[in-house]
Amino acid sequence: MTTMPANRRRWRNTAVGLGFLLPNFAGFVILTLVPVVLLFYYAFTEWNMFGGATFNGLDNFRRMAGDSSFWTALRNTLYYSAFHIPLTLAVSLGLALLLNRKLRGVGFFRTVAFFPYITSIVAIAQIWNMLFSPGFGPVNEVLRWIGVDSPPGWTTSADWSMPAVIVVGTWREMGYYMLLFLAALQTIPAQLHEAARVDGANAWQRFRAVTLPGLRPTTFFITVLLTIGSFKVFDLILVMTDGGPGQSTLVLSQYIYKKGFQENEFGYASAVSIVLFAICFLVTVIQFVVNKRRSE
Amino acid sequence: MKRSLAAVTAVLLAVAGCSSGGDSEESGPVTLTLAGWSLATTPEFQKLADGFRAAHPDVTVELKEYDATNYDTQMVADLAAGKAPDIYVQKNLKNFYTYQNGKQLLDVSDVAGKLGKGVGGLSAYQVDGKTYAIPYRQDSWVLFYNKKLFDQAGVKHPDGSWTWDDYAAAAKDLTPKLKAAGSKALGTYQHVWQSTSQGFALAQTAGADLSSGDFGFLKPYYERSLDLQAAGAQVSFGDATTNSLTYQAQFGKQQAAMMMMGTWYIATLLSQQAKGDADAFEWGIAPAPQLTKATTGTSATPVTFADPTGLGVNPKISERKTAAAKDFLAYAAGLDAAKALAGIGVTPADSSAVADTIFALKGAPTDELSKFTFATHDTKPENPVAKSTAPLQNILKDLHTAVLSGSKPIDVAITEAQDRAKNEVLSK
Repeated sequence: MTTMPANRRRWRNTAVGLGFLLPNFAGFVILTLVPVVLLFYYAFTEWNMFGGATFNGLDNFRRMAGDSSFWTALRNTLYYSAFHIPLTLAVSLGLALLLNRKLRGVGFFRTVAFFPYITSIVAIAQIWNMLFSPGFGPVNEVLRWIGVDSPPGWTTSADWSMPAVIVVGTWREMGYYMLLFLAALQTIPAQLHEAARVDGANAWQRFRAVTLPGLRPTTFFITVLLTIGSFKVFDLILVMTDGGPGQSTLVLSQYIYKKGFQENEFGYASAVSIVLFAICFLVTVIQFVVNKRRSE
Repeated sequence: MKRSLAAVTAVLLAVAGCSSGGDSEESGPVTLTLAGWSLATTPEFQKLADGFRAAHPDVTVELKEYDATNYDTQMVADLAAGKAPDIYVQKNLKNFYTYQNGKQLLDVSDVAGKLGKGVGGLSAYQVDGKTYAIPYRQDSWVLFYNKKLFDQAGVKHPDGSWTWDDYAAAAKDLTPKLKAAGSKALGTYQHVWQSTSQGFALAQTAGADLSSGDFGFLKPYYERSLDLQAAGAQVSFGDATTNSLTYQAQFGKQQAAMMMMGTWYIATLLSQQAKGDADAFEWGIAPAPQLTKATTGTSATPVTFADPTGLGVNPKISERKTAAAKDFLAYAAGLDAAKALAGIGVTPADSSAVADTIFALKGAPTDELSKFTFATHDTKPENPVAKSTAPLQNILKDLHTAVLSGSKPIDVAITEAQDRAKNEVLSK
């Protein structure tokens, strides 16, 4: 073995490396990369999935500009993101801080907070819908009990359906991000906190000057994940409100699904997907630029 | 190289020629595949396969199961991938246009030409004089009512003369009387589907047309539902959606004395009562309430709606299979299959001849009005076949949830739906 020429050995190592990569990479290429690349072609065509697609230039994008449902879906997506991102960030960080102490049963509480994330989305939607039921749901029972005369209709009201979905979305995802924050909190050296304490900093000052800066890389990572996740929100809304009542919770990915799989307009649906992709891409780039500037 | 290529081509041609030539002449066993959904709870596909096999021992029909909710999505994908079964079901009319216009349905006009007159729903599958699918069942929406609860409340049973006003009055009459009699049932239950309002409105209103983009005809139907909700005579839409109420439990567990539903529910109710999944009580069916007096009474033909369920042939199958598939379609729409389907409570396309079979089933009603209701109706399609139907129905679904949840007044919702229809669908 020791006599094997260097270049042959290098080739062998590369082959082994590729061998390990291949199963995952092949799946990625076939199931993700190729469809995504094709999407950029179909966005400029009219295609109902049977037979060939007809190239129609920018027609799909022109149509989108005048499509009131598309704008409604975009507005709702921004509405969801604008509240869901900061709320989830705050709640998961709060939970992480709370569960980062030496506390009796801390493992149990961490598990409890993480549990919604691994629970079936259909079950979550079903149960929360019942909790939010306007007539005899527990949420409104409690609200009435504490003196709210006409509690909101939640998922059955066009004004309250989005807040209801945001609450459930936050509740579902907070445990996952809490875990990431918890891991990051462990990496902040205890000496820094001690030094700050010796300097007479109170809890709030220590949080501002030590914990938050220490969490910066993680906070950035979580914000990027949350942003993309919020723009792409789909399953929760589909099973909880199906975009209703009316179009009050219609979001972009659901609109894409409707146009594509229910109305067989795959060309137009692809065009809307590209817009969603562009939005996610743009926002992420901005976040990276801002983050880079701040860390310099 | 050139020579070997030529040889290979020659062999391939010979094989292709042989197989297609041999196919039409040779007789021998043929296996057809047929799409179905929820096979464990939907025995009709197996019934058709077995019945056909008995008459055509050479042909085996194998079932391919699909998910009931995502049937059309999966079928479109399978057809596009060339993996679809030889015969597939048109579950409703909403997607028939997609299949037919996408050239995914074989012309079966020759089968249609040989069918009996009693086969309902055939015209829905005709485009430019050609037929692209053959109906094997034609349900229709009727009024299910619980005789025991009516008697308990001391309210007169439906007699076939009802307009929607009579229906609403009965629901409002029943609710307090049932409460007084110690029952927790409400007067009626309206399921959450858009068809429970829109299907009737479209079928019964003179001149109503989806593709006109004028939806004013929906107004009286929604006003009535909202009125019944406000009066507490039916569960509110919000409570029904948030608690995922099922219509089978609402009627079968006696939560409501009346319910509008398609005749497919007859089979379900019979089996659930037999198994104990539904309470044991006497029930009956009456014609759907009518918009005007003109179509009421047992001397008239009540107007109702429902899409036929049909069978279409995948155009990619071989010639020999095509002949067998067409035989299968003819069998499924014929009298033998009608009787077999009626035997499991399914409403066949030719329903007039099998009323006796259905009503002889254990637990089925025996009154004359139920039989009249089953056999006599002018059933209009729920989804008129057109390119605009699927997107328009999606717009009207938004109207349905907005209005019944009380999020938007009916006039505003109709104006918005009309604007959207014009802007998103009809102007294209």
